[in-house]
Amino acid sequence: MIETKNINFYYGDFHAIKNISMKMEPNTVTAFIGPSGCGKSTFLRLFNRMNDLINNTRLEGECLIKSKNIYDKSIDVDELRKDVGMVFQKPNPFPKSIFENVAYGLKVNGVKDKKFIAQKVEESLMAAALWDEVKDKLHKSAFELSGGQQQRLCIARALAVAPSVLLMDEPASALDPISTSKIEELIHQLKSNYTIVIVTHNMQQAARVSDKTGFFMMGELVEYSDTKKMFLNPDKETTQNYITGRFG
Amino acid sequence: MNKKIKQNIAFFVFRLFSLLIVGVLISILGFIAINGIQVIDWEFLTTAPKEGMTEGGIFPAIVGTFYLVVGSLIFAVPLGVMSAIYTVEYAGNGRIVRFIRMMTNNLASIPSIVFGLFGMALFVNKLGFGDSIIAGSLTLGLLTLPIIIRTSEEALKAVPESYRTGSYALGAGKLQTIRKVILPSAMPNILTGIILSVGRVSGETAPILFTVAAYFLPSLPDSIFSQAMALPYHLYVLATSGTDVEASRPIAYGTALVLIMIVLFFNLLAAFLRQRLNKKLKQH
Repeated sequence: MIETKNINFYYGDFHAIKNISMKMEPNTVTAFIGPSGCGKSTFLRLFNRMNDLINNTRLEGECLIKSKNIYDKSIDVDELRKDVGMVFQKPNPFPKSIFENVAYGLKVNGVKDKKFIAQKVEESLMAAALWDEVKDKLHKSAFELSGGQQQRLCIARALAVAPSVLLMDEPASALDPISTSKIEELIHQLKSNYTIVIVTHNMQQAARVSDKTGFFMMGELVEYSDTKKMFLNPDKETTQNYITGRFG
Repeated sequence: MNKKIKQNIAFFVFRLFSLLIVGVLISILGFIAINGIQVIDWEFLTTAPKEGMTEGGIFPAIVGTFYLVVGSLIFAVPLGVMSAIYTVEYAGNGRIVRFIRMMTNNLASIPSIVFGLFGMALFVNKLGFGDSIIAGSLTLGLLTLPIIIRTSEEALKAVPESYRTGSYALGAGKLQTIRKVILPSAMPNILTGIILSVGRVSGETAPILFTVAAYFLPSLPDSIFSQAMALPYHLYVLATSGTDVEASRPIAYGTALVLIMIVLFFNLLAAFLRQRLNKKLKQH
């Protein structure tokens, strides 16, 4: 589904991603772990070209999604971002109604059919396990929801445009434990339909939700393997040290 | 002298000065109100001046000021907001933007009489609009542009970056993001800029002096190419060069009061709109 080949990425002179090649299979959850500033979020944001929004950056290597290099000149970035959805660290609903938040992606992508939009909004909210909580107040402001609900709304918003990949950048780090477990449950459910890549600071979370885990340090991919193996019997000592909490 | 007494004296002086400022404002308003309220009645607000402006009302001047306010906003709001969108959303922080910003600040510091002179040279003479509402509106519009640009820029900058990234992440283009997310969020603060400029436009005399203002007109303007009377200029005329300055004095105070009330009204209206939009943004 996603494959990177010898990716190097620079912020100005700073070499943030060092020669990373990895593969992510469809319908799996891949977790990126590592200490702050290790490049895991930067690497994640390469997959929907969010780093394009930052000035003075440079990329080398290839990033293939569905076997197409997404940095090829022929790629329409807006189309790419429709196919590769993203959920951010802090819930960031728009200052609009719950309904409008979910409908936004459809509307900006030219969908006009109101019935279709309403149906998609309902489906997406259901898929994000939020429908029952909001079905009676769809036209209330998204800001009336709790933090955890807002984050599920942002997931619903991303699902509405029917992506095949879902990128999550520490999606639960700003949430309380109950909301966090709801998001994790949701990730389990979404796996059957989407390829999910999640960045997390929380080792237990990576262990709970992911099939594969990549450990990043100082811009390098130190180790990448099945999550079980990674947490029980990692190949590298650095990984072992990080996972057992000796640094980070 | 011990510390405590010094402190008390200092506090007393500070308080005195700040009360003094309030006092000045209240006495100006009070003075205008007391002298002006006597002449204000329905007739004063709805009829034209009579008997060489020593009697009658100020209706044409009210209408003229209203036209000028609206006219200048029609011109300055789209231009100012669009240029703010350019500098904040598109241009980054390069040399061009710094240059534009510097020029905007310079524009703000030009004396208003110079705007009047420029408006006369360009709109009245060069473009051949003559003394007209359109020439006056454009001149006043130029005067308010810096205010609108600056406040719109601040309003756009205040929109959280996460709205932008959230929108782009859904496949929205830049223009769509600006139209559907950024502008609606910035609107209440942009309105603040418009409030400020309305206050400025309705009170300015110098820019309209050579571009639109008429000494006396028996009837209302019939097109944007007509001259118009306007409250601030009318006040000036009544106070300095009427047919009988002494006899027009009460009317001058009445005019001043109406002018203040109009500025106040526009401010309240815009503040109300702003509050409603803010509320709607939160609830909707």
